[in-house]
Amino acid sequence: MTTTGAPTTGAPTTGAPTDTLDRDKLFAARLQAARARPYLATALFALHTVESRRVPTMGVDRYWRCYVSPAFVARTPVEELAGVWVHEVSHLLRDHHGRSDRVARQRGLTGPGDRLRMNIAADCEINDDVYGDGLVRPKGVVQPSTLGLQPGELMEDYLRRFGLGSITQYLAWLDCGSGADGLDRDWELGPEGAHGLSAREQDAVRFRVAQGINGRPGNVPKGWQRWAEEAFHPPQPWRELLGAAVRSAASGAGAGEDYTYGRPSRRSAGLPGVVLPSLRRTPPRVSVVIDTSGSVSDAELGSALLEVAAISRAVGGRRDLVTVLACDAATRVVHPLCSAEGIPLLGGGGTDLRTGFAKALRTRPRPDVVVVLTDGQTPWPKAQPACRTVVGLFTRERGRRTWREDNPEYTPSGPPAWARVVEIG
Amino acid sequence: MPTTAKSSQLAVADALTALLRDTATEPRPDIQLEALALAVAADLPVLLWGEPGIGKTAALTQLAASLDLPLTTVIASVHEPSDFSGLPVVGDDPAEHGIPMAPPDWAVRLVRAGRGLLFLDELSTAPPAVQAALLRLVLERRIGSLRLPPGVRIVAAANPRSSAADGWELSPPLANRFVHLQWAHDHEVVVRGLGGIWPRTTLPRLDPDRLPEAVEFARRAVCGLLAARPTLVHRLPTTETRRGGAWPSPRSWDMTLNLVAFSVAAGSSRDVLSLLVRGTVGDGPGLELLASLDRMDLPDPEELLADPAGAVLPERGDLRQATLDGVVAAVRARPDQERWDAAWALLVRALETGAPDLVVVPATTLAALRREDWDVPAAVEHLAGVVSLSRRADRASERVVRAEAKAGR
Repeated sequence: MTTTGAPTTGAPTTGAPTDTLDRDKLFAARLQAARARPYLATALFALHTVESRRVPTMGVDRYWRCYVSPAFVARTPVEELAGVWVHEVSHLLRDHHGRSDRVARQRGLTGPGDRLRMNIAADCEINDDVYGDGLVRPKGVVQPSTLGLQPGELMEDYLRRFGLGSITQYLAWLDCGSGADGLDRDWELGPEGAHGLSAREQDAVRFRVAQGINGRPGNVPKGWQRWAEEAFHPPQPWRELLGAAVRSAASGAGAGEDYTYGRPSRRSAGLPGVVLPSLRRTPPRVSVVIDTSGSVSDAELGSALLEVAAISRAVGGRRDLVTVLACDAATRVVHPLCSAEGIPLLGGGGTDLRTGFAKALRTRPRPDVVVVLTDGQTPWPKAQPACRTVVGLFTRERGRRTWREDNPEYTPSGPPAWARVVEIG
Repeated sequence: MPTTAKSSQLAVADALTALLRDTATEPRPDIQLEALALAVAADLPVLLWGEPGIGKTAALTQLAASLDLPLTTVIASVHEPSDFSGLPVVGDDPAEHGIPMAPPDWAVRLVRAGRGLLFLDELSTAPPAVQAALLRLVLERRIGSLRLPPGVRIVAAANPRSSAADGWELSPPLANRFVHLQWAHDHEVVVRGLGGIWPRTTLPRLDPDRLPEAVEFARRAVCGLLAARPTLVHRLPTTETRRGGAWPSPRSWDMTLNLVAFSVAAGSSRDVLSLLVRGTVGDGPGLELLASLDRMDLPDPEELLADPAGAVLPERGDLRQATLDGVVAAVRARPDQERWDAAWALLVRALETGAPDLVVVPATTLAALRREDWDVPAAVEHLAGVVSLSRRADRASERVVRAEAKAGR
């Protein structure tokens, strides 16, 4: 939604003489938008337009209907209308209504101004990267800089950064409809109205658009490429993934709680001559090998290490069963996790994790799980070690090359296939 | 005297309980439950993923009632592996007769009844050996020496990987054998239910007259997609995020084919089918199948060309444009004057009944198909507006380009 004309001509209805909707102008703008952004054409054409005098400019609902004010169309040039079309369809493609509902539930945002803030935050997310390259930015749209914020963030992040106040005063009547912030408006047709798209149909349109972008990523801006990659596979928080990987490794056969023939079951009393297994608990031993070479920051290490310690305690590993090894070119410290918060991490040179692996596997009794936290700039052991391996990989920006003084041709290979890899950060 | 006072207190308590239990129901469509019913009807192994306490058992009770099957619930985490693989019973001469594995009583009752709905709850919180025994039960339908009769349907439930206490997960080969259904609660339903009114869903009924049509449709849909996209046939999950979920393989595509046929025979909505298909072959391939089903639903270009005056075009813009593109492609494939004229008539009809910008691209392509000896049909005059619309968009684009160039300098 733009705030064109606000606050001077400002009002939603100006009483202008234009009473009928100029459909040709509106659809010429959509055509121009589809030509400027061919990958969004499916989504643009899937919108069902509804003429409405209650919407200030243009707005969408969560059923992919687009409400259009005739007066707004009359006073806005075609090329700006094209930008508004793309803006509105972006709300829907990026699922701003669903995300607003989720964020409202998570953070308990129920105040009267919160949905307006969500609308503004959603607008910021869109407006910082959809215009340009054949599409003009409509006059007066909200931008992150309007609110003194940095561009390039997501709606959820923007939402934390500002409150309603004098700076947002002139946005108070901004209204992109329930498609932008999840709050149903009384001028919308609602779920029972005609020509709405069902959740599945919305998914189908999103999928078509994402496929189009993934198929030809060359001419598509970065923001849309990221959206297309994540549209149907949102990245999971690494904490959960790492937790699941460590827990599953630690509770696999040989560790954790399982049946064993090492002792007869109590049921055996009723079945003389038969050996039944009984339930036994073997707490897992976890060795954590930490890459302390210069390329991993202390903050990254700290958060990942605390995570591993918490997880291994949760699966029943007592503190004395968790050991931590700091490793760069040589493994320096073998430290039991007794003083959980104060593990001295020495190092800072180049990395060779192979020594860390060797040392972890030499400890007696042998660990059930080795967890490696590294940025991957290291040679890996040739053969699979005799226990489960979870690798927490600190992601690095793509394109950053590693370089070695003695061997400029060196490129590190990725983690081996036998390890379970979780990308961190 | 004190005894009567006590018993009357209990009677009052009973009355209060009875009052609390006295709830009404209202009809309400529930696509989760419909999807579950179809998968159960198709006798495919179903795995419900959901947090504990969100009404999985209640849903199963309703399903069992509507399918008229007795429900047996087994909480996996309180059993030993021998409860599912059978308890060894020592006879007179084990060397001669072997040791039979005796099944538990509920299994014997189930086999004797010959039919029933077996619900294996809390699969993910059981120790690994129990899980292994249970998975064998789900997939091979065997308990010790007993084999479950075909009239018994099995549904299993597990907690999501991120919330399971011990990180339970399925290996890819096992995950591939299940229809994964995500079970979530509907806030509104819960609030209304606690207020005394629970939803009642009419579950899909298979229509005996539509069976051949359903099989034909399902085969056409799945084979059509896989013929065009061979890479979708088999794709092992590679990333950590997708572990333990549905992925495409010939096995899961076969399950999908069954589910498509069942949903057609039951006349279920695409939303239900979407849950099932995405739960069987995964999100990406599932969505591709659904997209190709949407395309199968579009009107046939040849039928439209045969009767342009009576043509009914889809209301939704993107589908309408896809239809018109199909018509133009059909004319291009077999061009003659009559078909070309019919296509123009269709475009005029599209213009009269919907947004004009959708007609621009098909009209441009159709105009380019003209042969020298073909007369321009009178209908084209109606499309003059489209040309001016296109020009207007062009002019707007030029203004943008000029403005950008100016700003660039």
